[in-house]
Amino acid sequence: MKSINLALILVLASAPLWARATNEELAEHPRWKALLHINEGTTWRYQGRSYIDDPEFFLHESGATDAHAELDASIEQLRPAESEARCDFPARYRFLSQQLDWPDDGALSHCSDYQEWREAMPEERVALIFPASYLNSPSSMFGHTLLRIDRGNDEDGVWLSRAINFGATVQGQENSILYIYRGLFGGYPGYFSNVPYMNKIRDYAHLENRDMWEYQLNLTQGERKWLLAHLWELEDIEFDYLFLDENCSFRLLELIHLARPDSTLMDDFRFAEVPANTVRSLDRAGFIESVDYRPSKANELDALVDRLSASEQDLALALARDASVAEEEAFQALAPRSRNLVARAAYAHLRLQNREGERSQEVAQRGLALLRVVNRTPTVPDIDPQRPVSPEKGHGTKMLAAGGGMLGDRGFGELQARFSYHDWLDNPEGYLNGAAIEAFNARIRRTEGDDLTLEQLDVVNIKSLAPRNRFRKPVSWFVNGGLDRRFIGSKRHLTRHVQGGPGLAWEMGPVIPYAYAMARAENNSAHDVLVSTAAGARAGVLWYAESFQLGLEAEGLYYHNDDRRYRPSATLNVPVGRNHALRARIERDGGPDRAETEFHLSWRYYFD
Amino acid sequence: MRKTLLAAALVATSFGAQASAPGGSGCGWGNMLFEGSNGMPMHLLATLVNGTSGNRTFGITSGTNGCDTSGALSYNGENMLAQAGVMEEVAQDMAMGDGEALTALSVSMGIPAEERAHFKKTMHENFNTIFPSEDVTAEEVMGNIQTVMNKDKQLASLS
Repeated sequence: MKSINLALILVLASAPLWARATNEELAEHPRWKALLHINEGTTWRYQGRSYIDDPEFFLHESGATDAHAELDASIEQLRPAESEARCDFPARYRFLSQQLDWPDDGALSHCSDYQEWREAMPEERVALIFPASYLNSPSSMFGHTLLRIDRGNDEDGVWLSRAINFGATVQGQENSILYIYRGLFGGYPGYFSNVPYMNKIRDYAHLENRDMWEYQLNLTQGERKWLLAHLWELEDIEFDYLFLDENCSFRLLELIHLARPDSTLMDDFRFAEVPANTVRSLDRAGFIESVDYRPSKANELDALVDRLSASEQDLALALARDASVAEEEAFQALAPRSRNLVARAAYAHLRLQNREGERSQEVAQRGLALLRVVNRTPTVPDIDPQRPVSPEKGHGTKMLAAGGGMLGDRGFGELQARFSYHDWLDNPEGYLNGAAIEAFNARIRRTEGDDLTLEQLDVVNIKSLAPRNRFRKPVSWFVNGGLDRRFIGSKRHLTRHVQGGPGLAWEMGPVIPYAYAMARAENNSAHDVLVSTAAGARAGVLWYAESFQLGLEAEGLYYHNDDRRYRPSATLNVPVGRNHALRARIERDGGPDRAETEFHLSWRYYFD
Repeated sequence: MRKTLLAAALVATSFGAQASAPGGSGCGWGNMLFEGSNGMPMHLLATLVNGTSGNRTFGITSGTNGCDTSGALSYNGENMLAQAGVMEEVAQDMAMGDGEALTALSVSMGIPAEERAHFKKTMHENFNTIFPSEDVTAEEVMGNIQTVMNKDKQLASLS
């Protein structure tokens, strides 16, 4: 009896304690943390607290840093039937009412704005969209990601789907390098937006010539409901936008993690969120159901041009300049099928040429006239560009290499580490041919009878080869900044340099010849002046064969003080599976006083 | 409250955009172009941070291209055509007789799936009527589509 009494007293006394413990546990619940966007050590900034500073997002004044206080305040404000706060935080309400078994008191039925929005928003399917990089634009080279929400009727297509995008909001009055700086290192507010997906198709595939990869995710209906309810909570909420880690892709991962909090998505530390890796993470965590490919307008044009003979290409170009060519003998004599392809190529060419900036009345008129020609010819179906290997199937974005060789008559061993991303002789599957972007690429060398020395450090090295053909005339370019070594007099010196220049490239099947003009500014310990300047040229050829990549290149630089540098080289890369490669290089490097030949063999391992 | 404010702000920004829309305030063919980006650095930055300059959009009310500010979550044919760049895609699809933009237009007009093939064929055959000149506006295109549909016995009941 006594013991029963004691037990009763204990139970009664501990009841409030229990309730508090439950709240404490609830504040630690993975979904609650996801709802508040708490950083659980996934990125370096703001660990243990919410990524969001915006007071609009919290119901408690210290909600950003105190998940428990925010929970208590949320319970207090969301609990009363028909509370206003429920309409701003429908996902939180859903979480709390489920966890705390709140009675059914009308839930969110009084939130007419929210109900209207949910009614209008699709929610049948969610896809992650990856507009891949496009040639010649450095800022796009890592790609971008957004979410697409579909109604799910396949026969309806996806043009009427919604796009959920996270991006920085820039008030565009000034043009200044400061904008780039702030974009990279923070300072811009980031917001979610919800726009028609067709606008995104226009922006990426049509205006920027980016292929789009569409990854259908296998979120369940319940998971999608979490996602949509939470999206509403993020309307007009300000985040910080950081280029490296807290960027478009990372924020989407957070959303997907909220939908499925027991996923492994946020388990690893993510130093830099490269969109291709975001896709890989989703793939590894088992989210990806299927993949679709949406080619850019430029690739659609190329697919048309590939089917035209040389004389038909002439006709298409003439037609694009003057639609009345369609009345001429040469065009009329073509088979109906060829007339259709020629007219479509002409129209696609005209559009591509005039895709940006203001379009004149004359161009609009010509465009419509060309469509009339297209309309008069029988449509040839299925002129689809070949689907390349999708980006998540490419080699890892980080790389380590070990190797050795001979420089002149002395042997050396060398280690290389590259933080990011791809050079143009790496295995091209999943990447664009002729595009290279390397950041923090370092080589450390130990030469016989010498100390360990830094051989090279590229802070950034971007090379873009955009092949020219009769329909497209882009200008290629490269830019490179960092440290390298070269012979000045008879000794090799470390130089700090910036170099770059415009160029031209062509495509002949798997072979891409190219030529650049280049300028270089350099600081070294051998020259008297602080900054030496040089001008020169670089030319070469890339060969993308089935099982290897070969690059031949020659470079000549002439310095302001009559110093010179010559550097011919040949590099062979043989991929061994997806994440390994064997690379051999022979190079002659030198100036007027001394030059040496270097042989170099290395094993490259790609990861992450 | 904050949503109402947002809606008001968005309407204001889209009127602003209209005032500065390249090529004037009409929505004709000649105007279906890229809203002028403010030079290379802005474009570079916009690509870098995947952002937009100026207006944020979230759905209920969203600016389009200065032609139509209703841009709601769901479409009728006309406000879909008024989205920047869409009319040109629809025109291209009609010229060829099929395509995603034409499908989307038929969905937004409420054409049932089983009638779409016939709808597309009819649009293809009447391309010149629907797009009589390069200055045609979204509203006129929509009117022309209705006229064409009314003359077709299978489609007349749907228009």
